Amino acid sequence: MELDGPQFIAKLKQGDRAAFGQLVKHHHGYLLATARSLLSPADAEEAVQDAWISAHRAIGKFEGRSQLRTWLTRIVINQARMMLRKQGREIQFDPTDDSDPLAHRFRDGGHWEQGPQQWDLGGPDSLLTRDELRHCMAKCLDSMPENQRLVLELRDMQGMDFDAICNMLDISASNVRVLLHRARARLFELVDHFQETGEC
Amino acid sequence: MLKCKEVVDRADALVDGTPLSWREHFALRMHLLMCHHCRRYVRQLHALVTSLNGKNTPPASDEQVQGILDKLDHEH
Repeated sequence: MELDGPQFIAKLKQGDRAAFGQLVKHHHGYLLATARSLLSPADAEEAVQDAWISAHRAIGKFEGRSQLRTWLTRIVINQARMMLRKQGREIQFDPTDDSDPLAHRFRDGGHWEQGPQQWDLGGPDSLLTRDELRHCMAKCLDSMPENQRLVLELRDMQGMDFDAICNMLDISASNVRVLLHRARARLFELVDHFQETGEC
Repeated sequence: MLKCKEVVDRADALVDGTPLSWREHFALRMHLLMCHHCRRYVRQLHALVTSLNGKNTPPASDEQVQGILDKLDHEH
């Protein structure tokens, strides 16, 4: 049975425990990854568990205007933002608070000061197969501003479309694109440096 | 003629397949034809984004699912 189809949604609304279990099995990992882009691993675990309880309570009101994944992700993000607020923190989606990570690579005239290194790509899937680079990448993701990390997670890692992200975060498409550009630019800088030096 | 910085700012649109006006598309293509640094940037950005896309999120384990269902039972 299709996990976004009307039959499955009807079962969820009827309180079918097995159907809800399938929903959890399929989406839990994605939701946890989303929460981890905003919270510590322990807080993320708690936020997602609370989100499942909220989703279970609210599934009767699910109108099917978005995909289940989008609906669930929105609940997780709200839960995470609530936890952050309790800790006295708030995520801003205004991208003006951070500069372009590649700005220093260009001369005043806007052309490359030093162009990118030639990366050893091997094949389309082999870039992140080296443990050292994956480790560097994880460190880079940890140090990235939360708003950039969240947009990168939703768009590039989970493959959500721009409209869904804009609706979910209630921000403009241009802000999503700026945040995504900056997140990708940070990773680009990291890989470029790694290719040159073998270090993070 | 676009500057390299402007090409880098617009490279995400190429990678994401975002529709550009013919004028923007033409300006980008003309620049890329002449600038090997920007060609390399776009090619490698594409490889980077593709490699992130391939990241698999495994389904929850049976224990995790059971733990959440138990928690839901406990709530009611």
